[in-house]
Amino acid sequence: MAQKYVGQRLTRTEDPRLLTGQAMFVDDVQIPGMLHAAFLRSEYTHARLKRIDVSAARNRPGVVAVYTAADMGDTWRPGPPLVSPPPTIKDIVFHSRTQVPLVKDKVRLAGEPLAVVIAESRYIAEDALDDIVVELDPLEAVVDLEKALEPDAPRVHDDLDSNLACHLIQKKGDYAAAREKADLVIKRRIVIDRGTAAAMENRGIVVYWDAKSQQLTVWDTTQAPIPIRNGLAGMFGLSPSQVRVIAPFVGGGFGPKIMMFYPEEMVLTWATLQLGRPIKWIEDRRENFYATNQERGQVHYAELALTRDGHILGLRDDFIHDTGAYDPYGLTVPINTQCHAMGPYRIPNYYSDLKVVFTNRPIVSPLRGAGRPQGVYVIERLLDIAAKELGMDPVEIRKRNLLPPDVFPYDNQIIDQAFVPLVYDSGNYLPILEKAAEMIGYEKFVKEEQPRLRAEGRHVGIGIVCFIETTGIGPYEGARVTVEPSGKISVATGVGTQGQGHFTSFAQIAADQLGVNPRDVNVVTGDTSQFHWGTGTFASRGAVVAGNAIHAAASTVRAKVLKLASKVLETPEEELELADGMVRVADIPEKCISLGELAVLANPLRGAVEPGTEPGLEATAYFGPKYGATASGAHAMILEVDPETMMVEIKRYILVEDCGTVINPLIVEGQLHGGVALGIANSYYEQLMYDENGQLLNASFADYLVPTASEVPRVEITHLETRSPLNPLGNKGVGEGGCIPVPCLFAQALEDALADYGIEILETPLSPNKLFDLLSGKRNK
Amino acid sequence: MKVEGEYIFNGPRAEVWDLVRDPEVLATALPGTKSLNQISANQYEGEMNVRVGPVAGVFAGRVVVSDEVCPESYTLTVEGKGAPGFAKGTGRVHLIAQDDGTTLMKYEGEVQIGGKIASVGQRLLDTVSKSMIRQGLEALNKALEARVARSKGQEVECQPPSEAEFAAAVAKDMAGQLLSSSWVLWIALAVVVIIVAAIWLSRGGG
Repeated sequence: MAQKYVGQRLTRTEDPRLLTGQAMFVDDVQIPGMLHAAFLRSEYTHARLKRIDVSAARNRPGVVAVYTAADMGDTWRPGPPLVSPPPTIKDIVFHSRTQVPLVKDKVRLAGEPLAVVIAESRYIAEDALDDIVVELDPLEAVVDLEKALEPDAPRVHDDLDSNLACHLIQKKGDYAAAREKADLVIKRRIVIDRGTAAAMENRGIVVYWDAKSQQLTVWDTTQAPIPIRNGLAGMFGLSPSQVRVIAPFVGGGFGPKIMMFYPEEMVLTWATLQLGRPIKWIEDRRENFYATNQERGQVHYAELALTRDGHILGLRDDFIHDTGAYDPYGLTVPINTQCHAMGPYRIPNYYSDLKVVFTNRPIVSPLRGAGRPQGVYVIERLLDIAAKELGMDPVEIRKRNLLPPDVFPYDNQIIDQAFVPLVYDSGNYLPILEKAAEMIGYEKFVKEEQPRLRAEGRHVGIGIVCFIETTGIGPYEGARVTVEPSGKISVATGVGTQGQGHFTSFAQIAADQLGVNPRDVNVVTGDTSQFHWGTGTFASRGAVVAGNAIHAAASTVRAKVLKLASKVLETPEEELELADGMVRVADIPEKCISLGELAVLANPLRGAVEPGTEPGLEATAYFGPKYGATASGAHAMILEVDPETMMVEIKRYILVEDCGTVINPLIVEGQLHGGVALGIANSYYEQLMYDENGQLLNASFADYLVPTASEVPRVEITHLETRSPLNPLGNKGVGEGGCIPVPCLFAQALEDALADYGIEILETPLSPNKLFDLLSGKRNK
Repeated sequence: MKVEGEYIFNGPRAEVWDLVRDPEVLATALPGTKSLNQISANQYEGEMNVRVGPVAGVFAGRVVVSDEVCPESYTLTVEGKGAPGFAKGTGRVHLIAQDDGTTLMKYEGEVQIGGKIASVGQRLLDTVSKSMIRQGLEALNKALEARVARSKGQEVECQPPSEAEFAAAVAKDMAGQLLSSSWVLWIALAVVVIIVAAIWLSRGGG
């Protein structure tokens, strides 16, 4: 029997290249005659462009071209909307306003590009930026989410009546009636603020229009190379076959790199078409704080109606979501919030009123978690407060409301980000919560340790929360699997890779079908010349959607291998087995043929081939799920806080995750560790601070605090497996799960640690300063 | 950012008034000045070189003096911008004659700052601006004392501070309040010179 690789803790195939500096990133691309670009960006958040004079910059030696919106002529137009609102939701108000390549008349966010300089070197290009004379007439900025909707607020888009970008109500049951019957109604205002992805690698683009071959090549740190190719081809009147987009190794995507089209992608492609020369632009860190999309800003007015014994009757959530200056990404993020506020709980009545507002801040599109942490924060915080009001244990109130295992598939009766009904495919939530409680020693801590430590004057607290994560949505991905004459396997898929371990996980899937070692499977991702159908890496879907496409393609190749081998070995297919790169007769192992030899036989140079036969041992297959697979989990932590310094130490961190079939536990755990680090960032460290004029006050890593190894604890992980019935591998996504429940968990544990102060935490990220204010307020009372 | 404070000048109010409305004196009180021109009775325009460490560029600005009640008070509206960012502010300055022949200056204003100066220098702005104002006012006071002495027939040497001396003094002030790591000082130095421009502009019309 062949060895199974899915489920094994295989070290990552790509790591030797990455660790020894042999992996290619966009900035490694060097082409003779390559030019360099620098963008002049507005320092004002909101201003009218009166005049721009680039003549001096054009005259600087070494400058090849300087372009403004006017130079683009008819090709200047706002980017196409990337995601439209769900067409299946009725009575939706949605105003689509998309980003522009270069500012023509009005600046809507600080960092918006006004001009681009193309020069012999980046140094010259940057110097030439200072030669450009710009007259901007500053306007009052829209910064505060709630004030944005006031009637006298300045407008981000002059042609709209207000800053309202969308109004959407989703409901299930009858919340108002449920509220009537409630013994307890908890109502709170909850504020969640913005952060940035802070990927290790900033964005980068190299574009090259070769007029002789009539080929456009684009190296891009994008998470969606195929849509970028299709979009650029459409925008500039090229055939998609003339455009090759390569997303090589990318130093972290985390969502913002799924955005398209960033102004730089549009402008630089246009520029290389003008100049016929390769152009490189690599975003610097400061630019990244302004010009790369961000996420999380929301204000919620949420209420939870319960019975006396802690059963949820209904949830109402009226919330405002900040989309920034434009909304090219539609409603993905706030709909995710709507779809995660019910969590793993039975909530019979739900009313969610969403208002999306335009503000003069960077564009919002998904950032790892993508609206999910906000929804989870709302329900988990309300449950904690309800438990306190009812004198109930926080674990107990959750147990009472968890969906039982016999309700799946469970239809939540609202529409999700993929425009399909929010249906939880499978799940078994109670064992997850019980396992987390057991691992952290909940009972013992609460009954014995905490009282002892409190008696010593120490402020230690425990938290435990549950969540679901919708993952693996459609529409589809595809893959081509080929047995090469060497006997090695090549796999090509369209999704891009930004560190998820695709080269290993995907190889494990193909290896199991073809009886080879995963090290002999060469995976190519993110190069449209290798595979050009697909959508991209987002929504924790790579392993689910591309993974199952690879599984399907590899199964088809396996069938071809068996068919040919059966002929060659003169043995029925049922008696053959694939292992160690060979096809053997099960009972007579010495009667065998290698995959490589079969590949050669499958591609003959002479002789007749039977009609309907395809050459080679190759297959292409696609996978598209009916709806997303819903993963789940519970996190628990014990923390200690010093109420003098406000310094927090996380003593233990427990994570129980159910993402269905685990392809590679090592990789899944790596994803979870990274997710938890981001979650901790979103709890206490990383917050983008804007002043009342929309000026970003902490656009450097000196002031924007990314947690380090000393703030991120060791994470103890247990996997539980509830297979997804939606795909043959039975897997669910896990890329975002690690970060989603951390802020509400942190808040619960911190409140518990500071129980003697009686504080209530209703915002995230918190910070030592904010905690100090919170405690001071309590002290003053 | 709010800016407010007081300072006592060792001279009579009329002299202080003349001083703060004299572009040449102001230009020497804050080094790095390329030009400071009075373009009308109540408007000044100027340029200043800024070059310390990684921050370099010309800060160009305009100051408008309004609501002038000679020699008691005036309002300054300042707009300046350059590679390091931009500043825009309004402030009210009061000069109060004291019984002992000195003059008390009270000032308060609101400054909006944007660009690199805001995003990178934010947490140092408050401390630095206070120090910068103190330094600048002290330099002006020295000029005033020299003027007063000259009017009495005495010759007093008044050497305006050099750009480097100025920055060093501010950095010293900051070191007293902040971590004295070389890194912080380096940033501080960079910010100092940016602020010089902003503050200079805000006082340029005075």
